[in-house]
Amino acid sequence: MTGVLLRAAHVTRRFGTFTAVDDVSMQVRPGEVVGLLGANGAGKTTLIRMMLGLIAVTSGSVEMLGGPPDRKRRSRLGYVPQGLGLYGDLTVRENLSFSARAYGTAEPALPAELTRHAGALVGDLPRGVQRQVAFLAALAHSPEVLVLDEPTSGVDVLARASLWDTIRAQADHGAGILATTHYMQEAQQCDRLLLMADGRLVAEGSEADIVGSTTAVAVRTDDWAQAFAVLNAAGAPVMLAGRAIRVANADPAELAEVLEAAGIEASLQPVPATIEERMLMLARAAETS
Amino acid sequence: MILKEFRELVRDRRTLGLLVMMPLLLLVIFGYAANFYVSSVRAAVVGPQASQVAAMLPSFFDVTVTEPSGTQADAEMLLQDNKVDVAFVTGETPVLALVNGSNLFAAQSTVAALNKAGSQVKTQVLYNPDLKTSWVMVPAIIGLILTFIGTIVTSIGLVREREAGTLEQLAVMPIKPSRVILGKIAPYFLVASLDMLIVTVLGIALFGVPFNGNPFAFVLGAGIFLFVVLGLGVAISTISQTSGQAIQTAIFFLVPQVLLSGMVFPLYAMAAGVRWIGYLFPLTYFIMISQGIMLRGAPITSLWLPFVVLTVMAVVVFTGATLRFRRDLAPGGPGSPAGQQPSAAETVSTA
Amino acid sequence: MTYAVRSATVRFGSTLALDDVTVEVPGGSVVAVVGGDGAGKSTLLRALVGEVPLDAGTIEAPPRQRLGYLPASSGSWAALTVTQNIDFVAGIYGLAGEELAARRAELLDRASLTPAAGRLASQLSGGMRRKLGFVMAIVHRPALLILDEPSTGVDPVSRIDLWRLASEAAASGAAVLMSTTYLDEAERAAHLVVLDSGRVLIQGSYDDVRAGFSGALTQTSEPVRIQWAWRRGRVQHEYWPGADPPPGAAIVVPDLEDIVIALSLARRNAVPS
Repeated sequence: MTGVLLRAAHVTRRFGTFTAVDDVSMQVRPGEVVGLLGANGAGKTTLIRMMLGLIAVTSGSVEMLGGPPDRKRRSRLGYVPQGLGLYGDLTVRENLSFSARAYGTAEPALPAELTRHAGALVGDLPRGVQRQVAFLAALAHSPEVLVLDEPTSGVDVLARASLWDTIRAQADHGAGILATTHYMQEAQQCDRLLLMADGRLVAEGSEADIVGSTTAVAVRTDDWAQAFAVLNAAGAPVMLAGRAIRVANADPAELAEVLEAAGIEASLQPVPATIEERMLMLARAAETS
Repeated sequence: MILKEFRELVRDRRTLGLLVMMPLLLLVIFGYAANFYVSSVRAAVVGPQASQVAAMLPSFFDVTVTEPSGTQADAEMLLQDNKVDVAFVTGETPVLALVNGSNLFAAQSTVAALNKAGSQVKTQVLYNPDLKTSWVMVPAIIGLILTFIGTIVTSIGLVREREAGTLEQLAVMPIKPSRVILGKIAPYFLVASLDMLIVTVLGIALFGVPFNGNPFAFVLGAGIFLFVVLGLGVAISTISQTSGQAIQTAIFFLVPQVLLSGMVFPLYAMAAGVRWIGYLFPLTYFIMISQGIMLRGAPITSLWLPFVVLTVMAVVVFTGATLRFRRDLAPGGPGSPAGQQPSAAETVSTA
Repeated sequence: MTYAVRSATVRFGSTLALDDVTVEVPGGSVVAVVGGDGAGKSTLLRALVGEVPLDAGTIEAPPRQRLGYLPASSGSWAALTVTQNIDFVAGIYGLAGEELAARRAELLDRASLTPAAGRLASQLSGGMRRKLGFVMAIVHRPALLILDEPSTGVDPVSRIDLWRLASEAAASGAAVLMSTTYLDEAERAAHLVVLDSGRVLIQGSYDDVRAGFSGALTQTSEPVRIQWAWRRGRVQHEYWPGADPPPGAAIVVPDLEDIVIALSLARRNAVPS
């Protein structure tokens, strides 16, 4: 069925009195990379575990490749958890062999840059190489769906670009990919984004959709340290970006007043807000509620 | 799945060692050391007819002391110092045979042999008149408990820091390594001491085990012994990366001690080729002290050997372990933490 | 007060972890170190902290009493609560009583950890644990603060908090050295250092780095030379070290990510493997 690869329909999950996931609906279609964003405790992991069929839903339904996420369907899925799921005391070859046999497929060939690591224990290898191996293991059986939990966490720039190359290549071949990430710049790599907060799906779509109505003001000044301290003390949601200080959801006039009172000369300018700022505002709202 | 597990097992040298070495060790021990049957006992003969009686004794009695001018008091002294297993006091009929009840199997064999002599000999068992196993075991168990707490629990406690990754932080803070060790060991020292107290009191209360000797000497001996085993715990922690490994290594040290320290099988009944191993263990010497003091009321002077050996062990083990630990904490040590995200491959040179 | 590592070389067995590296960390500023796995970031930080001895070169660092360190690993005692963790560390540095209580309250507030003060460290989320580790590293107001990948794997909001905490520390006069894989953080630093295979590829302020970068960058969907191209979002960027891109190619202004990748590729493609 060239339809939806992963689907969640009004999925809710409760643990006792705590609602981890609240009425979430989403889909992943072939050829697209969907980014799942959200702070810790937003419900991302619980949602993914339900979609993988690892835990049951309290209400609603999940679908994987047109049916319930059973073992047969899972064999057509590739999953790279945050912990990579590799055995540190086995070599690269041995890990790939184990994984390939588990999925009933042939052991994948090692790409050029990994051949020299073939006999090394995975636990001894640098993080970036470990991720590459984990990816290889997950892709060996040509899965139609990929679920990746923080695929590039802690990885350097070059390796990160290379990993996204791999992900894109899979999407181009028709696979559907669901990836969670904490690195907002990666959000640009995705076709579609989903933002979760407190178990609910708060925003969906492009980066602009996620940012929503959040605004930001950039404050440029020579005395950044003082300006930062002053605005922070005034309770404004400040952030540093490059040389400028950014304040989310703020009224430029109010900021100007505060800065003037402290004797700081600065130029203020409204700028497009970032996803981080949206998340910052969500976190603040949650704190005060 | 099977293949993977095998591959992982081969790499896990400690588990492999345990699986292969332990059965071999047990086989050797049970084969050569396990022996409840005592072939001969050390005997002393005192009193006016000493030489005659000594000559008449069957070969089972290995007469090491013949003292015609000796009295019963002298005989008892020999027994208290654990120099002999049985002392014959001649001069009256029937001959009085004083048996050292603190060496259980020797005593049992001796009594059996003496019974054959019938009314010619009057047998009296000292220190453990009913030849109760519990009386001999409880002093040994005290040592076992101390060994257990000292070695296993201490090694886990220190390895926990390494596993959690917090060892690195301690290394950087202005805190001396010796203080770190002391701070980590102190709670276990207290717990072990408390445990020892409880077991001793219970042993006396429940089984009627006597406490005939000097409690201060006992406490001193236990204290020194504790230092040895705690030092071993620190040593094990310096060579273990995870608590799993620490436990495995500790077991490796613990099991042979249980079997070869004289707690279960008497030392002198073991084949000489295996017996010497028993003398390497600290538990062996503690048992000498605890049985000596509790059952025989022996003075420190007669127990000088185990005391000295334990003290030397304590100094050597503790110093060595502390130095190794300090190397872990100080610059140049292999302080790479087993954190959640393994960092870049850095083959660490041994300083 | 400027602290530094000068001409440092560190060898682990046959591997050269650091090769003649000089990095200065002036008081009141944040210095960011970026680089891939095995680039030497952690080694550099650990050398400055005194954990790794140098095979050559010198270290200019304050005594332990005035040093603050957040290691790459978890950094907090799982079985203790947040408050107990802070108290333990503060005690080692000699803080006690009223002074300790006040400092603790202040730091918990700044790190948004006050509601979690009584929670066990093992029950905190990754981001909160890092923040706790940070608080423990600055509780004694160190002159030199060293942070090893403080925000790796941490949620975006906590990452902002951590950056804010580091900036505040610098603003109050501390010298802050941090390693990171996130280039947006490096961009914000007063001074950044790019390491690759133990050597300094480039260092300076962001402006310096950009100014010192030579070569041209093109944007394309079909790179001409594969080993000089990498993915950025939906397109590929290609680096021309000799500043000789084919005519008609779309030129882009490189940002820090481009610069770091381009320099790494230059090193990789120039050196025979």
